[in-house]
Amino acid sequence: MTLKEFLISRVRLFFILVTLILLATSILGGIVAPEQDIKYYQLMSPIVIAGLCVLPTCVTYFKKEPTPGQYFLRCGIQLILIEAVVMLFLTPPDGGSVSRPLFYVLIGVTVLMIYAAATALLWLNKYRESRELTEQLKKLQGEK
Amino acid sequence: MQTKLTKIEKDKPEYIEIFCHAVTDEVREIVAFVKSRQGQLTCTADERQYEVAVGDILYVESVDNRGFIYTKAKVYETRQKLYELEELLAEKHFLRVSKSVLLNLMKVRAIRPALNSRFTAELITGEQVVITRKYVPDLKKALKGEK
Repeated sequence: MTLKEFLISRVRLFFILVTLILLATSILGGIVAPEQDIKYYQLMSPIVIAGLCVLPTCVTYFKKEPTPGQYFLRCGIQLILIEAVVMLFLTPPDGGSVSRPLFYVLIGVTVLMIYAAATALLWLNKYRESRELTEQLKKLQGEK
Repeated sequence: MQTKLTKIEKDKPEYIEIFCHAVTDEVREIVAFVKSRQGQLTCTADERQYEVAVGDILYVESVDNRGFIYTKAKVYETRQKLYELEELLAEKHFLRVSKSVLLNLMKVRAIRPALNSRFTAELITGEQVVITRKYVPDLKKALKGEK
C-alpha cells in the first residue's frame, strides 16, 4: 500500500468511526446518564474523538511488507493507543448513574466493540474490492 | 555469431536454423527464447528436457535463484530468470504478483482478500498464491487492460 492509499484508507476509517462513535454515544449515554442534556458544541465530540483515534492507527503503516507477527503486534499497539487516547479524553459525567471505574470499563469495552466493528467494515470493503477484481478477471479471461 | 535473415515465399514454412561450433548455454538461451515466443518453454524435470505450453503454466516461482514452472500435473525447472520470463510472457497475461512469483492470470479462479493490503489468488487447482501489496496496483491495471 502506498502512502497515498494508506491516507485514503484513514479518511475512510475516520468517517466509519464518526458514525460508530455517534451510535455508541447515544446508546451508552442512555445507560450512563439518561437525564443529561447535550449542548450543540458537544455534537463535535464524535468528530474530535474519531480524529484522535485515527492518529494512532498510523502505527500500522509499513514501508516494507510485514510478517503476520509484525502486523498483529502493530494492531495490538494500535488498539492500546486508541484505548489510551479515548480514556484520556473522556471523563465520567457529573451525577451519572455508574461509578468512575465502571465508566472506564464501559468505555474500554465500547472502544473494543467499535474497533471490531470498524475492522469488520474495512474488511467488508476489501472483500467487495476483491470481488470486483475477480469480476474484471473473469471478463479478461472471457475476452481471450 | 553472425545473423542472416532471408525472406521466403508464403507457401513455405518459416524456420530458424543455428549453425554453431558447440551447443553452449548462449545457444540454448536463444533456442529457449524462440520457443517461448511461439508459446512454448524449454524446461527440465527428472533430468529430462520438456517443452511446456505456456497456456498450461499456472505460475513460475523463483527459489534461491532457481526458476520453477508449475503446471497442473508437474513441476519443471527452467534456466531462464524470472525477469526474462516476465518480459517474454507479459503478452500472454502473466503478471508478477510478488518478488518471486509470476502468475498466469488465465489460471486464476478468484481473488480473495488477505491481511494488510494483500490479496490471494485462488488458482483453478485450488492452490493459493499470495499477491503482495507492492504488486496490487499492477494487478488492478492489468485487469483494467491498462498494462
